[in-house]
Amino acid sequence: MNGLISVLRSVRERRLATIGLIWLALVCIAALGAPLLAPFDPLDFDPLARLAEPGWPHLFGTDHFGRDTLSRAIYGARMAVLIGTGSVFVALVVGGIVGMLSAYFTKLGHLLMRAVDVLMAFPALLLALVLMTLLERSVVNTIIVIGTVYATTTARILFGMTLKLKGEVFVEAAICSGAGHASVLFRHILPNLVSPLLVQASFIFAFAQLQAAALDFLGLGLPPEVPSWGNMLSEERIYITRAPWLLIFPGTLIILTVFSMNLLGDAMRDSIDPRFRKDVKGV
Amino acid sequence: MLGYALDRLLTLVPTLLAASLLVFLFVRLIPGDPAAILLGDAATPEQVAALTRELGLDQPLWKQYFLWLGNILEGDFGTSIFFGKPVLAVIADSAETSILLAVTTMGWIVLIGVPIGILAAVRQGSWIDQATSGLAMLMASVPTFWLGLYFILVFAVGLGWFPSSGFPSITGEGGLLNLRYLVLPSLTLAAPNAALIIRLVRASMLDVSREDHVRTARAKGLHPLRVAIKHIFRNALIAVAGAFGFTFAALVSEAVVTETVFSLPGVGRLVVQSILRRDYPVIQGVILIVVVFYMFVNLLVDLAYARLDPRVSLK
Amino acid sequence: MGLKTWLKLAVVAGVAANIAGTAFAGGTLRYATIGEPPSLDQQVITSDLATTIAHHIFEGLYTFNAAYEPVPLLAESETLSDGGKVITITLRKNVRFHNGQPMTAADVVASLQRWGAYGSRGGLLFDNVERVEATGEYEVTITLSRPFGPWKNLLAFINGGPAIYPASIVEGASKEPLAPDGYIGTGPYKFSAWEPNRYLELVRYEDYVSPEGDPDGYAGRRTVNFDRLRFIPVPDVGTRVAGLRAGDFDYAESIPGDLYAELDADPGVRTILNGGPIFGLVFTNSKAGPLKDNFALRRAIQTALDKTAALRVAIGPESLWRANGSFYPKGNVWYTEAGIENFSKADPELARRMAEEAGYDGEPIKFMVSTNYPFHYDTAIVYTRQLAEAGFNIDLQVYDWATLIEKRAQPDQWDMFFTHHGFVPDPILISVMNDNYPGWWATPEKQKLKARFTATAEPAERRAIWAEIQALIYEQVPTMKTGDIYTYNIASPALEGLAASTLIWPHFWNVSK
Repeated sequence: MNGLISVLRSVRERRLATIGLIWLALVCIAALGAPLLAPFDPLDFDPLARLAEPGWPHLFGTDHFGRDTLSRAIYGARMAVLIGTGSVFVALVVGGIVGMLSAYFTKLGHLLMRAVDVLMAFPALLLALVLMTLLERSVVNTIIVIGTVYATTTARILFGMTLKLKGEVFVEAAICSGAGHASVLFRHILPNLVSPLLVQASFIFAFAQLQAAALDFLGLGLPPEVPSWGNMLSEERIYITRAPWLLIFPGTLIILTVFSMNLLGDAMRDSIDPRFRKDVKGV
Repeated sequence: MLGYALDRLLTLVPTLLAASLLVFLFVRLIPGDPAAILLGDAATPEQVAALTRELGLDQPLWKQYFLWLGNILEGDFGTSIFFGKPVLAVIADSAETSILLAVTTMGWIVLIGVPIGILAAVRQGSWIDQATSGLAMLMASVPTFWLGLYFILVFAVGLGWFPSSGFPSITGEGGLLNLRYLVLPSLTLAAPNAALIIRLVRASMLDVSREDHVRTARAKGLHPLRVAIKHIFRNALIAVAGAFGFTFAALVSEAVVTETVFSLPGVGRLVVQSILRRDYPVIQGVILIVVVFYMFVNLLVDLAYARLDPRVSLK
Repeated sequence: MGLKTWLKLAVVAGVAANIAGTAFAGGTLRYATIGEPPSLDQQVITSDLATTIAHHIFEGLYTFNAAYEPVPLLAESETLSDGGKVITITLRKNVRFHNGQPMTAADVVASLQRWGAYGSRGGLLFDNVERVEATGEYEVTITLSRPFGPWKNLLAFINGGPAIYPASIVEGASKEPLAPDGYIGTGPYKFSAWEPNRYLELVRYEDYVSPEGDPDGYAGRRTVNFDRLRFIPVPDVGTRVAGLRAGDFDYAESIPGDLYAELDADPGVRTILNGGPIFGLVFTNSKAGPLKDNFALRRAIQTALDKTAALRVAIGPESLWRANGSFYPKGNVWYTEAGIENFSKADPELARRMAEEAGYDGEPIKFMVSTNYPFHYDTAIVYTRQLAEAGFNIDLQVYDWATLIEKRAQPDQWDMFFTHHGFVPDPILISVMNDNYPGWWATPEKQKLKARFTATAEPAERRAIWAEIQALIYEQVPTMKTGDIYTYNIASPALEGLAASTLIWPHFWNVSK
């Protein structure tokens, strides 16, 4: 818990990171309150109000279906949060379990980490493309595919960190006092890893946004009928000169969100245990 | 050293076998029928079935896997269903673009990332340090395709400085001047990756500068910049070299989005197009080769570490 | 070498390359395509892109003039005897293949036979052919089992059609498309190179012997100006547009309707409409599912649709589409208004009542669409919404094209799917006329009309029967037409000799820059 508090304190000390935090809070509010905040139904189209310029009543203009861009952007925040947290969840849970168990039980670890090596050798984006074609486009599949990609890196990081902790006096003391494996892993080792995991989570969240947008762009991400920022860019990219707002708004939203998460992760990284600082990847 | 290298090479074998099985399964489980795609709307079901037989795609999956694996061991990656050419020839055509794109991108990263990283480390904590790290992080937050679309609009359509798309081989007409086709794509690709290198250069420079031999050099009254370049940077390079290796390997595959935006005939776009055409032998071949490539880079980086840095023990 | 010397060398090299580049570009047409064709083998491949490239390499016995009438190309003339059952075709005598061999009756017979056995559209004609034989060095005789009206249109339609290959190439060829070393035709360009992902290149055929007469559609004199035609795959449409504007391409195909006004106003861009419109089609499943033989329910679905709204969303500017229910555009000989009062009723209330009467109880209707063609997807989204308003439970399934064509071959996987159809000069070539096309429309009423339609060669009679068939399509609804779409391409204003619109596929003989 102490770790968590010191992490949050370090964020407060950085002005840019605070701004990032505020932006992310806004995104979360938009995601939760989308039905209340959006002025229009994000799927409702109007063939007679296509490609309308930003103005009243469409503050961000409309797309080629005549759908309200602002409303779609607000619902897009929902997808951003869902994809981000979903990928973080998959990556941390799967990667965390594999990494910690591998470090703790050496024989099992030998096998598991070899499997992680195999998966890591796969080119991430190409693998994601093949998997998405195989599984068909859906929100859950996108989360699973992106989460799996980062589960491998997470597993490797946790493997390293757990190994370091395993040799520590307090862990050995716990084992000597007869604590069970589960107790050692979850009561003694895991709490020490919370803050580096938090940093890792923020970077995964940021990467997942870009990865999901890239998949959407290639036509292999979320189903096209789902309003997400990536789909908005992908579907409307031919209008870059005809209706520039269709690319500028969703593009800026992605950049702001990813940038905020990166700032947050960067600020938190400086506050964590120096032994783990290098393990956590990021920008 | 040699024993270590051989040992590492041997452990690659089971890993590669597992990878080949995964590649095959992933690709073959994709729904879709290449024969139907090839023949188009007017073909009858009998005609499609006949072509499927001719292509050998009606055999049981396990048989096809062992046939594929056996042929690869003899250096034959099969024939592209779509192009009717050997898979290796198709990949070799695309590899030129991908490798040159990765090289030029690495060029930008080194050219921009390393000096900025050094500068940021030397002036640690100053406004330059903060501004560059902030800017680098911002660049890493931009979707590459979005950046690429605007690059084309501004520098190709608007200003006409660079070609908008495509890449003619440097062995053909135009020669090395054709590299100008890669300027915009490589800049697009370098933007997010430079941030990583800037950070790394800065961090490892700071690490090294805390070490004893650097302190000694400083104490001897050497010029700070001289210390930075001669003592710190050389050691920091060891850490950075590894990152370069991985970034390079990653670039070859991660370039798929950039290749799509700029219509570059690279490996990434080849995979995307081959997935759409269900050209199984090509998808399998590319992914397997990239996997092997990645593993070898991995190995080389480890060996380089072992050589450059005596502190790494050869386990 | 000092820095200065290097700089000098670089400048010299640059200038030299520039000069070489200019000379080279002057004789090359750079065409940005939507992708790569599966193969250029015209007999088995029906992709429009393949034909756009390949009709510069291969020629047929006949081709189309600007009025879409079949006129001789490799043929010189023909005579019909035995009540239209025996067709004797005289060939042009001075034609040589790209491999230097003269084209004779033996080549034509071998080509027609391979097409008849394995060609995509070969069965249409050869179901009525008794034999094809060489009756002279330059004379081919086709004997039919019964008179068959559309024979000349089928011989002139080169897409999936009877391109003439050398006998040495085509003998022993089967369904598998020919490899590039077999791309040997008689056309004004010969195949040169195919660099996967990069370009496909044709070079001028120096010994080309052009047909006589003023250019008229694809017919008449073919003057070859470009040294090379280079077809460059640029799948991203934004990149095609940007590349043409930046001067990297001379011609770019398949541009979205919404950019039309902007590009048309741009002095650096010329827009070229495609003459024959394409049209979107929703096929219904006649083998399985709730729509199997419930024609009343299909009519209820069609009644709910507002095709104008769909066209407006999917295409954009009104000059690029017509909400036309006839399968042929106004002015074409096949245009008929039979049945089209039911084309776009846009009446959800009436549709709801009709569906109730047809016994529809809200069971899901699986509607498949692909994302590869944006206008397919856009139209399907509009239809789904309109159908939902009329109380239909539509289960929209979005796939990539490759998955869709696999699924549509399985009758239990779908109830409706969206596709589009290119312009074809004879209704017999429309996919819904084919009993085996997914949807499998083969009711006794259809087969009776179809038999009558092909049995006569008399134009007025064929037109009258086609009107009956179109009326039947609106009654049994095996497919629902969305309306005519005029696609367009863009070209550099420097190109000279381009017609204001293309006939079916763009052609680059009689064009220069």
